Amino acid sequence: MRFRAKILDVACLNHFTRVINTIAKLAKTCTLRLTPGKLYFILTDKVANGGVSMWCELSQGNFFDEFQMEGVAAEHNEIYLELMPENLSRALKTAQNAKTVKIKLTNKHCPCLTVAVELPSLASSSRIVTHDIPVAVIPRRLWNDFKEPSVPDFDVSIYLPVLKTMKSVVERMKNLSNSIVIEANLNGEMNLKIETDLVSVTTHFKDLGNPPWVLDGDSQNSTQDRDPETMAEARVDIKKLQQLLAGQQVNPTKALCNIVSKRIVHFILLHEDVYLQYFIPALA
Amino acid sequence: MKCAVGGPHLRAFGRAIHAIARISDEFWLDPIEKGSVLPIFRCLNTLERNVEKCNIYTNVNNCHVIFQLFCKHGVIKTHNLTFQECDPLQAVFAKHMCPNILKVQSRLLADIMIHFPTCQEEVTLAITPVKVCFKSYTEEERDFSKAMHTEIQLHPEEFDYFQVGVDSEVTFCLKELRGLLAFAEATTAPVSIHFDVSGKPVAFSIEDMMVEATFVLATLADIEHGISRQSPCLSQRQKRSTLPKAFADKTENVPNSSADKNSNSERISSKKLCWNRSMCNYAESSVELPKLPSRREAAGDSTMVEAVVPTDSDHHKFHSLFFGAVSLNDPDVNSHTFHSLATASDTEEDFDNRQLSPVIQ
Repeated sequence: MRFRAKILDVACLNHFTRVINTIAKLAKTCTLRLTPGKLYFILTDKVANGGVSMWCELSQGNFFDEFQMEGVAAEHNEIYLELMPENLSRALKTAQNAKTVKIKLTNKHCPCLTVAVELPSLASSSRIVTHDIPVAVIPRRLWNDFKEPSVPDFDVSIYLPVLKTMKSVVERMKNLSNSIVIEANLNGEMNLKIETDLVSVTTHFKDLGNPPWVLDGDSQNSTQDRDPETMAEARVDIKKLQQLLAGQQVNPTKALCNIVSKRIVHFILLHEDVYLQYFIPALA
Repeated sequence: MKCAVGGPHLRAFGRAIHAIARISDEFWLDPIEKGSVLPIFRCLNTLERNVEKCNIYTNVNNCHVIFQLFCKHGVIKTHNLTFQECDPLQAVFAKHMCPNILKVQSRLLADIMIHFPTCQEEVTLAITPVKVCFKSYTEEERDFSKAMHTEIQLHPEEFDYFQVGVDSEVTFCLKELRGLLAFAEATTAPVSIHFDVSGKPVAFSIEDMMVEATFVLATLADIEHGISRQSPCLSQRQKRSTLPKAFADKTENVPNSSADKNSNSERISSKKLCWNRSMCNYAESSVELPKLPSRREAAGDSTMVEAVVPTDSDHHKFHSLFFGAVSLNDPDVNSHTFHSLATASDTEEDFDNRQLSPVIQ
C-alpha cells in the first residue's frame, strides 16, 4: 500500500487547504478514501455523530501535480484511512507560502500521513517542516460501510439562499434555540423558523428556484403531483446546520437542499471541482 | 525602593511583565500575589498612549508596593499592592561555558514556533554540525498514536551565529518560552540560545540598549545518564503563601548582585519553581542545607524547604527552573537611590546581619 502526492501550485494549495478546513469543521474524525483519480472524505451516520453523514469528493488532478497510489490489492486499488482532519488542517495552515507540499503514507511509530512542507528560507537550502499525522488503516472488510449515499426520495428540492446571509441568520438563531425548522416548497420559498417559550422567529426567503431533477419512474410523479405551495419541513439540530454553513469559506457554485418531510435534510454543495453532500437527520 | 519609569520605557516594562506573567504566578519585584501586577499593565496600547510616567515605590510599614501611573490630563492612577518579603534566589548559570550557541533573529524563531500547535507543551532542539532541528516532544507511549508530530529542519546558514561544540538534543518547555518570544518580537533584538547536553539548562537571552532578559530553562535529563547531582530539585509546597527558599551547599557572594547601593540598575527578577507533572518522589534522606533566618513573614508559615535529590529513576526527570532578569538601565534617573533587590531592606538593623543572596548551583 503506497501513496505519494505533491502540490506545487500555490493556488491549488490554498484551495486544498480551504477544502480541508471545511471538512475539519464538519467532522472530528472521518474517513479518507484514496483512489487513482479521486479523494473522498466520508463520515458515516453513526450515533456518535448525531446521525449526520457527509460525502465529499475531489478530483485529485485539480489539486496535485503528482499523485501516485497503490491500493491494498490490484483488484481493489483503493486505500481507506481514518484520520482527524483537524490535524491536516493544522499542518497546511502554516504552509501557505510553501514551495512544495508533499503528502505521503508512511509508517513511523504507527501508520501516518506525513505532510512535508518545503518553505523558502534565507539559506541556500530550504526549510523543511514535517508533520506526521497518525492514521488508522481501515481493512477491506469494512469498506462497505463507506458507500456513497443515494439521494433520498425527497419531497421538495430547492436552491439555498446566499450562504453568507443564511449563515448570519442561523448564527443569531442559535443563541435563542437548540433546534431550527427548515421548510420549503416547490414555489422557490424557504423559511427558517425557531420557536421557544419566549419568542418565535421566522426568516422568509423567496424566489430561490427549484432545481430540475431528472428522476425515473414514480419519484418524479410524486413531486409533480405535489401542490407547489405546500411546505415540506424538518426540525434539525441548529448546531449541525451552523457547522455546515460556517465551514463554507467561499460561496459555492451550486447549493441546494432536499427535504424529506420530518425525516432528513440533504444538502448538496458544489464548489468548482469539490462536491459535498451533507445529511442532517430530523429531530424526533 | 523607589523608582520611576519614563514614558517610552513603559511599554518595554509592561511587556516584560507580560512575558514574566506567562511563566510565573508570583513576580519578584517584590514578591506579589498572583494576578495583582499584570492587570496594571494589561493593556499595553492604552498604557503607551496615556501614561507619561510610572513611579514604583515601597511602603514597608504596611507591606505595600505602590505603582503610580501619571497619565494625561493630570490623572494619576495609584495601585496599592501588598507584598511579602522573602529571600531571593538567583540562578548561577555560566552562559559562556556552553558549547552550543545559536543566535537568531526573533522573527525567525517566531516563524519556527508557529508550526507547533499552541497546546504543544515540550519541544526538542537537536543540533549537529550540519543542521538544527526543532521537533515536538511527546512523553507517553499512548500519545504516539494520537498526537501529531511536527519537525522543522534548518540549515546553519539561517542563523546569525552558529556554534556547535557537542551534538546534542535538549528538550524544554515551549509554553513558557512563548512569553519570551512575544517579548523578543517586540524588541526586534536577536535571541541567543546557549545550551549543552541534555539535562543541562538552556538559556534564551535578549539584549538591547534598554533591556536585558535571560530565561534559563531546565532540560530533560536522559535516563541513561542517571540523575544529576548538580541540579537539586526544589519542592514547592501545596499552599504557596510565600515563596519557598532553597539553599545551596555553600552560600556565596553572587557577583553583580551585591548590595551596591549606588548602582543605577534595578534588578527585577522573577522566579518560579515548578514541578513538571508526576516526576519526583522525595528521597527519605534529604540533603540538609544551611537555613537563613527567616525575615518577616506575613503568613507566619514556616517556609523552610529542603533541597532533595530524587532517587526515583524509572522515568525521565524534568526540572523546570526559571529565572528571568530584566534590568532597566536608565541613566537619567540619577537622583534615585536604587537598592539591589537581591538584598532589599529598608531598616538599618538588617544591614548588620545582612545576608547576601543565596545561590543555587
